[in-house]
Amino acid sequence: MNRIRFIPATRKTGLAAFETELLALLPRLRRFARSLTHDGADADDLCQVTIEKALMARGSWQAGTRLDSWMYRIMRNAWIDTARARSRAAETFVAEEAGLGVGGEGNAEARVALNEVDAAMRTLPDEQREAVALVLVEGMAYKEAAEILDIPMGTLTSRLVRGRQALMARLGEAA
Amino acid sequence: MTIEPELLMAYADDALDPLTAKRVERAVAADPALAEEVARHRRLRAKLGAAYAPIMDDPVPDRLAAMLTSNVVRMPRRQPRPSRVSAAWRSAAAMAACLVVGVLVGRGVQQEGPVAATDHGLYAAGSLAEALDDQASGTGGPVRIAVSFRAQDNGFCRVFQSAEADGIACRDPKGWALRRTMPGSTPGARTGYVQAGSSDAELMAAAQNMMADMPLDAAGEKKAIASHWRAR
Repeated sequence: MNRIRFIPATRKTGLAAFETELLALLPRLRRFARSLTHDGADADDLCQVTIEKALMARGSWQAGTRLDSWMYRIMRNAWIDTARARSRAAETFVAEEAGLGVGGEGNAEARVALNEVDAAMRTLPDEQREAVALVLVEGMAYKEAAEILDIPMGTLTSRLVRGRQALMARLGEAA
Repeated sequence: MTIEPELLMAYADDALDPLTAKRVERAVAADPALAEEVARHRRLRAKLGAAYAPIMDDPVPDRLAAMLTSNVVRMPRRQPRPSRVSAAWRSAAAMAACLVVGVLVGRGVQQEGPVAATDHGLYAAGSLAEALDDQASGTGGPVRIAVSFRAQDNGFCRVFQSAEADGIACRDPKGWALRRTMPGSTPGARTGYVQAGSSDAELMAAAQNMMADMPLDAAGEKKAIASHWRAR
């Protein structure tokens, strides 16, 4: 019978519920990376580091729990690490053109909108930005976001409200 | 009544329990400034959502996808978004599967058929149950087992094919519960309901969704057979 080609799994050719699910998450991970890094190239670098870490740590992921939360957490922690190293290296070098890269030939209007939001997100402190990214961009519930960030609900909501007010002011939504 | 900014934000996000939401709703209704603040929160969410949306449609860079596909056994792609045609096709397939099961169960009344209808649903019987109990994956016989795996609820499941039906059966204390059944695909099927659609891709995708980790290898399967498929 060769209608079904399920190759018996070995350690080496591990089949792939995990990888497949991860693959399906990639667009969301890239989006989260973009909102954390506010730069297209940095975002994909962050994705790469995150996938590496996830593959190494896959043994600690419990099947049946949410892979997206697990991945967001890995990504966020990886970003803290790289961002720390980076701010020591070069504080001053903020590329204004950063943030092209989206949508290849994607329409100009969409790019402008994203660049505007990138610029506004850049002004937020990390702790507010990550709260905004998880709740407003990734659509996580407050409780899920608080768990990913490992902070109490009250801390999450106060960061979130401050981040939002700053963004509203920046993006022409001032009262 | 004063409404804290956090509370108002949570109201705008529909993140409050119904009782608290009611309370905020009354305050908002009575105060246009609060109503405007709620609207601003929602506009910001919409704006951010729209700004980042193009990234979701962007092709994922090869270098990222390659990290996950290079050492992976090729699996049938998951159906992207079911189009109307394929949705109709699927429900036709589901109907055909129902017919097959009907035929099988019907026959089971007269003789020892492969499916038994119980109060708890459909279970494998007769030669199918025997094959599921004892037969290794990939070996021949009227019933062929394609693969065995541990489902996310930790129980064992097996994908099987036979002349009468293909499907996925999962072991529980009462026997092999049939989770999926499709018209039989092995040559020589006699049911008259066999259809051209490929049950294997559907079953594989279904199995993949149910799977906790990876399929059992030969050794793992042997152990499972020896321990009568008892979950850990």
